[in-house]
Amino acid sequence: MRDRRLAGCVLAFAATLLVPAVVHDTFLLRVFTEAVMWIGLAVTFDVLAGYAGYLNFGHSAFFGIGAYTTAILMVRAGWHFAPAAAAGGAAAGLGALVAGFPTLRLKGAYFAIATWALARAIQQIVLMMDITGGPDGMRLPALLSPRFFYYVMLGVASVTFFAYWFLLERAPFGLKLKAVREDEQGAKALGLNPTKLKIQAFILSAVPTGIIGGVFAYWVTFIDPASTLGDLVSDQALVMVVFGGMGTLIGPVIGAVLIFAFKTLFWAYLSDYEVLYLIILGAVIAGSVVFLPDGVLGMLPRRKEAGNRA
Amino acid sequence: MPEPILVLENVTKNFGGLTAVNEVSFQVRPKEIMGLIGPNGAGKTTLFNVISGYYAPSRGKVLFRGKDIGGKTPYALAGRGIGRTFQVVKPFPGLSVLENVIIASFLRHPKRARAEEHAWKILEFTELADRAHQSASSLTLAGRKRLEIGKALALEPTFLLLDEVVAGLNPTEVDHTIELILKLRDQGITILIVEHIMRVIMRISDRLVVLNFGQKIAEGPPGEVAKDPGVVEAYLGVEKA
Repeated sequence: MRDRRLAGCVLAFAATLLVPAVVHDTFLLRVFTEAVMWIGLAVTFDVLAGYAGYLNFGHSAFFGIGAYTTAILMVRAGWHFAPAAAAGGAAAGLGALVAGFPTLRLKGAYFAIATWALARAIQQIVLMMDITGGPDGMRLPALLSPRFFYYVMLGVASVTFFAYWFLLERAPFGLKLKAVREDEQGAKALGLNPTKLKIQAFILSAVPTGIIGGVFAYWVTFIDPASTLGDLVSDQALVMVVFGGMGTLIGPVIGAVLIFAFKTLFWAYLSDYEVLYLIILGAVIAGSVVFLPDGVLGMLPRRKEAGNRA
Repeated sequence: MPEPILVLENVTKNFGGLTAVNEVSFQVRPKEIMGLIGPNGAGKTTLFNVISGYYAPSRGKVLFRGKDIGGKTPYALAGRGIGRTFQVVKPFPGLSVLENVIIASFLRHPKRARAEEHAWKILEFTELADRAHQSASSLTLAGRKRLEIGKALALEPTFLLLDEVVAGLNPTEVDHTIELILKLRDQGITILIVEHIMRVIMRISDRLVVLNFGQKIAEGPPGEVAKDPGVVEAYLGVEKA
């Protein structure tokens, strides 16, 4: 069953490669690029939320750190885009390592509050610093190639997805992480070091998020603390993950596509009813938590696990 | 006399002003089943937590195969060969029975395929193979206790701490579990077991240690310990003449 799902993912990936060949409209290609970005952000969010059981309301901080690192290196140090974005990923990973030790001791709501506060603190620091341009933000050199950004975003998101697939669904790491999620004390007795596993998961979630932030910065050519370090990234990723199906890799992809499509269509046709958007979104989330605890993915018929690996 | 596998030297564990375990010393020899008994609150589980690394001893020494392990982490001790079960069983409820055991098997078999192979052997041995793909939370209490033992066994321990693996089971299940424990001993695993059911502890233990209010009040073969006046007093109270 798992292999068939993986085959489905590879097929879907192949189809997305063809999008720029079919879609010539620049606006539409931007929409697709952003959809791919949200897939990446939802999947990275779910590593911690679904597999490790930690709701990270500071996910936006990784995105922002990646965006700002990339922007600073390109604008102030004259780096090329690729190494700058890679450095953005590394910076986000380093941030996760440093932030993980104090915060991953906390559980449930306390972890959510601590990471949220940390993200707010980083946002304030960026607002006050000169190197980041403070509240004025930063302007990056413009590269006007929608195709280039579509493929870069797709490359980052799909490498992340398939690397996660291997690490979380095939390699022992995923099961070990789930063990820690289910019962940390019990996991210790089985030779697992929960702190180490959680920090690894945190970094695994942060690095691609930082890279995506870097790609985003170069793509939109202008970043400020509100657009990259605000709550939106964390909140939206959470909504997508919950709606799609937490603790899986396919769930967040489905959630990201559905929520983002809804958002895009809403803004395109119903932007006069702006206030309705959040109300509908809120109702959808409340409804999916109550009626679809396993998300949209959980509604799909599932073949019996029995015999799956026997 | 073979070298003891576990040596406790004046082990004390305080929680603030409360002394849960007080100056306890005893030795466990290889391949024996040592019973640890005592009334509720005597400090048995605390002592288990000290031996398995969940608590560092406040004073005293814990030597495992000659090395001081006081203050080592539970996962480091699992690596050295100490397996344990929990009185309140700790299955990973959202995972399947098989996955539960695979996770434990990773300790000695880091490759997924080998770990799974090993897990199946453990499931056969603990008679859980037919329920391998069920979620762990769907097992009965007896099943969960057996899974708990299975997970500890998957670590391929040389020394096994069993915390009330029989309590709460019906008589048939009790006999079943006793058989399992005796089989483990025959495989060469040394066992320290906490149990409330006297019928069980008297039958399977080679020797007993009795704790009361955190202190050791008796040690010896089950027959002798049962006649010890101090032990009788601890369990039944003193008859005022």
